[in-house]
Amino acid sequence: MTDMPRPIPNMDDLDTAGFFKAAAEHKLTIRTCTQCGASYSLPREYCRECGAFAMEWKEVSGKATLHAYTVVTHPVHPAFPVPYTAVLVDLVDVPGARMVGNIPGEHHLEVGQAMEVWFEHVEDGIVLPQWKVAE
Amino acid sequence: MSRWDHRDACAIAGIGHTDFSKNSGRSDLTLATQAALAAIADAGLVPADIDGIVRSDYDHVSHNALADAIGADNLTYWGQSGPGGIAPSSIIGQAIGAIVSGQATTVLAFRELNGRSGARFGLGGSDKFVVGGNASYDEFFNPFGLLTPAQMFGLMQQRHMSQYGTTREDLAAIAIACRNRANANPNAQMYERPLDLETYMDARMISWPLCLFDCCLETDGAAAVIITTTERARDLAQPPAVIRASAHASGPNIQPGQMFPALLRDSIIELPGRHVAKLLYERAGLGANDIDVAQIYDCFTITALMEFEDYQLCERGEGGRWASSGAIELGGELPINTAGGHMSEGYIHGMNHVLEGVRQIRGTSTSQVEGAEVCLVTSSPPPASSAFLLVADR
Repeated sequence: MTDMPRPIPNMDDLDTAGFFKAAAEHKLTIRTCTQCGASYSLPREYCRECGAFAMEWKEVSGKATLHAYTVVTHPVHPAFPVPYTAVLVDLVDVPGARMVGNIPGEHHLEVGQAMEVWFEHVEDGIVLPQWKVAE
Repeated sequence: MSRWDHRDACAIAGIGHTDFSKNSGRSDLTLATQAALAAIADAGLVPADIDGIVRSDYDHVSHNALADAIGADNLTYWGQSGPGGIAPSSIIGQAIGAIVSGQATTVLAFRELNGRSGARFGLGGSDKFVVGGNASYDEFFNPFGLLTPAQMFGLMQQRHMSQYGTTREDLAAIAIACRNRANANPNAQMYERPLDLETYMDARMISWPLCLFDCCLETDGAAAVIITTTERARDLAQPPAVIRASAHASGPNIQPGQMFPALLRDSIIELPGRHVAKLLYERAGLGANDIDVAQIYDCFTITALMEFEDYQLCERGEGGRWASSGAIELGGELPINTAGGHMSEGYIHGMNHVLEGVRQIRGTSTSQVEGAEVCLVTSSPPPASSAFLLVADR
């Protein structure tokens, strides 16, 4: 277990890599249809709402509210020492869009409380939009 | 043909299983072979009678490997029906489809895993370095520290507790009901190991508020059933457990991937089971009030709790209070998981629930519900759900 490297996102996937490339520039983006404005937390090229293949990476604000959280206490990976608090957030700008993140340590939070993005440098070229309690 | 054509058309004629353990010492193929042979013998058949095999996406043993191993030399149909926990009830549905459409007469359905000594779901996919791509969407979860099912269901449990006032005592009632039934079942992994509320409350946290006893077991084992027409089943060795109706359904926003994308559905505390329930009850001409006993998919206590609500066994949001009222205990309103469930019998991804459903209809359960004539069996998330209703042959 001690030799396991931290999992990093695939940076070559044709549908999803753009999210992490934007994150490397400290931009939080969401795949959005240029024809009808529908957005997809899990990026893909086809818009099921309007039938277009016309997506763009739309930059959104880093404001969110807490949807749920869990304090992970059972260790399964050395890159994630316990305890840490995994959070699920709803983006304020984009109704229905949701993302996950983690906060080191044990924290007891309130559903609905304000959260904000920050950018974690994992290694060269790998940056994750992460979430913390809004200041 | 209509959506009701399969009503009562098929029955489960045989059941078989291995021991459930932490270290089987046998290959997946040996486990599958043993369970299959036991089910075939239970039905009073021989392997050459089997002309169809249906399995889970997660089975390591292929239909052809098992057919070759047992000598099922006349296959005319095979298929697989979804990942792990979704599979068993939809496997039954697929077998019915094959039989009713004339593509097979006698279908073997199985699930095999060395879930403790082999690949453990509880460890997640954490040995991978570069994750995601190819519409798996793991890259949006694993790098952020979401690695295991317990963490995902911990989020769901926290949300349910926050939204509806569900308590840990409510969830304990589910774990304890399952353990009580396991303590009557000599084949259960937790046989002769009682669990009380104090022990539950003091248990170590896995992913707060989800504790050790909210998690199912990890199990080496296999289970198998034989499905054929109800008419033919009447001539075989066991009384038929008639499949009143079967349904699998995604509902909207099924979500891609294996697991974590389900966190992006509108509600994380309602499962696709609510869509299955509507379809199932319509197909069966029966409702939740007609059910005498239920085998509810319980990878975690919160999973079972959400299904109580999804399958209309209680009001939305009341699953916790309903469970801790005693409703799910033997002698209660609706006894559940009478062999011990995943919590305490073993984790054969819901296929052991199918076998226990059959036992209740036969009247041979180690925790028999007196006069049971209708049994609900569910298989659950993510990313979809399935269920069926067994009835006595009348």
